[in-house]
Amino acid sequence: MSDRKLPRLLQTPAVLLLLVWMLIPLGMTLYFSFIRYVLNSLRRPEWTTPSFSNWRGFGNYEFVLNSKDFLFAIQNSLFIVCSILFLTVILGVLIAVLINKTFPGQGIVRVLLISPFFVMPAVNAVLWINMILDPVLGLQGIAVGGINELIDGLKDAPLVGWFFGMWPELQPISFRATQTSAYAVIIMVTWQWTPFAVLIFMTSLQSEDQQQKEAAVLDGANTWSQFRFLTLPHLARPIAIVVMIQAIFHLSLYAEIEIVSRGNGNKNLPYLIGEFANNNIGAASATGIFAVILANIVAIFLLRMIGKTLME
Amino acid sequence: MGRIVLKNVTKTFGETQVIPPLDLTIEDGEFAVFVGPSGCGKSTLLRMIAGLEDLTSGAIEIEGEDATEVPPAKRGLAMVFQSYALYPHMSVRKNIGFPLRMAKMEQSEIDERVETAAKSLNLMDYLDRKPADLSGGQRQRVAIGRAIVREPEAFLFDEPLSNLDAALRVGMRLEIGELHERLKTTMVYVTHDQVEAMTMANKIVVLRAGVIEQVGSPLELYHKPRNVFVAGFIGSPKMNIFSGPEAEKLDAATIGIRPEHIGVSMTDGLWKGRVGVAEHLGSDTFIHVHDTGLADMITVRITGDIAVKHGDTIYLTPQPDQIHKFDDEGLRN
Repeated sequence: MSDRKLPRLLQTPAVLLLLVWMLIPLGMTLYFSFIRYVLNSLRRPEWTTPSFSNWRGFGNYEFVLNSKDFLFAIQNSLFIVCSILFLTVILGVLIAVLINKTFPGQGIVRVLLISPFFVMPAVNAVLWINMILDPVLGLQGIAVGGINELIDGLKDAPLVGWFFGMWPELQPISFRATQTSAYAVIIMVTWQWTPFAVLIFMTSLQSEDQQQKEAAVLDGANTWSQFRFLTLPHLARPIAIVVMIQAIFHLSLYAEIEIVSRGNGNKNLPYLIGEFANNNIGAASATGIFAVILANIVAIFLLRMIGKTLME
Repeated sequence: MGRIVLKNVTKTFGETQVIPPLDLTIEDGEFAVFVGPSGCGKSTLLRMIAGLEDLTSGAIEIEGEDATEVPPAKRGLAMVFQSYALYPHMSVRKNIGFPLRMAKMEQSEIDERVETAAKSLNLMDYLDRKPADLSGGQRQRVAIGRAIVREPEAFLFDEPLSNLDAALRVGMRLEIGELHERLKTTMVYVTHDQVEAMTMANKIVVLRAGVIEQVGSPLELYHKPRNVFVAGFIGSPKMNIFSGPEAEKLDAATIGIRPEHIGVSMTDGLWKGRVGVAEHLGSDTFIHVHDTGLADMITVRITGDIAVKHGDTIYLTPQPDQIHKFDDEGLRN
């Protein structure tokens, strides 16, 4: 037994540090979630300092559960995360397969493809919402205006004018609106994270066995069958990894949501926490605990799924 | 049926010509082995027959029809790869059935054919396993199974045994030989191992730098090597080849004598030497003899055992009718 003591002793500082790192914030969040604690209150100044005398029990949790945005925030979190995962995996696989072939300028294309990943999330959001998606000044507004002008011109053309005359005028979409702000976030995060998926899938494709492909060619497999029966199964593991890493990251999206619409029509749990934290720390902490639970549920599912693919 | 004819076939990779114009006919039902040192173009040639490499010029005929531009899958050939190239995500059953599935065959028919192939290859107990759970020999049998279910016109083997250990290799060699006897299908087999070539082939094609050095039956190559290269390549241990006064006596630039055609005596003989290492195999003994004045080392093979020690003096006498004579250009005369 004594030969195990020394290694354990040497591990202790690291383990302790990790525990402190994790447990103190978690403990404080738990504590705040059970008391009345606000940053500013003229009516009840005693609530502005955390204290056990302000004990509220599960009151904060009840308040959060009953608040009109909570259920919406959870659904919206899952909607955003799942949409981004779906799009990045599909786009990632397609682009990776496309650029895995050798072609002139391959190196530059690869660098350009990876570059969105190095843009800061807030910058990404500002660029997209102001310069690309803006209905008047962005690329979208310019493009829609251009198409409308073109159709307008064609309406007077002989022979085919009547056809274009029946076309409606296209309306640009306002991506800051309640109904569309979630889509804006999905688009910009997909743009930013597809390179990550491409990078992982590309390295995996390069390790694909070429003799297997040749064997498949001789066995009569066409390009689609080779992709379906060899490449896709080969990519199962990297896909699982991309899904897991991205799910963890995108559950905590914040900057994009803030910049696109300040939470208008588009909230997730971290954003809800931020909103509560403007004043009500108790409610914010309770939401934080819900977020921890949600993240754990997602993580357990993902770990199961990935554990399974890794075992195979 | 499975007659393969190569006409004036060449292959260049960039600037380098890997295969200069080459003609070869492989008759139906023949077991042809391409043998040669690594980099001699034997695998490239096989891949050209399979359609995995394009021809730079020339033509390939399979069963009397021009197959030069026919895509690999339509040539009616099946190939077994050195790395087995099994599909790792599929069970053995799915692996063997894959070519039939690609040919859009009925599921019941696929099952039937897979079972037949698996029975003949002793794979029945492994049908639901993944390739990763199989041993090297079993994987090789699955690869062969995947080839035979297609009932091809010819089988192509690309160094199929080089990833197996020595004992398994001997077993698989017999199995492939047995398979050829049973199916009577044309087989083209690539190897760098002359033992495999000698034991399995009806016809050996010895290649060097893309050029065919000799084509013939194993014993033809053994008894009548066309040149010094073939003489040195075929046979184990290697033929002793040397030039010098001893060769001039016989009106040849170079002479060769196989280790098994040299008599040994401790008292007298034609050539005198000093024993180096003696390898005792039980059935045979290989003696490496130095200081004969003929070559750095002369290898002698004698049946049974002989009590010689390192450093002993030994006398060698070649069997005169077994001496191979070669001219200035290394050709047999």
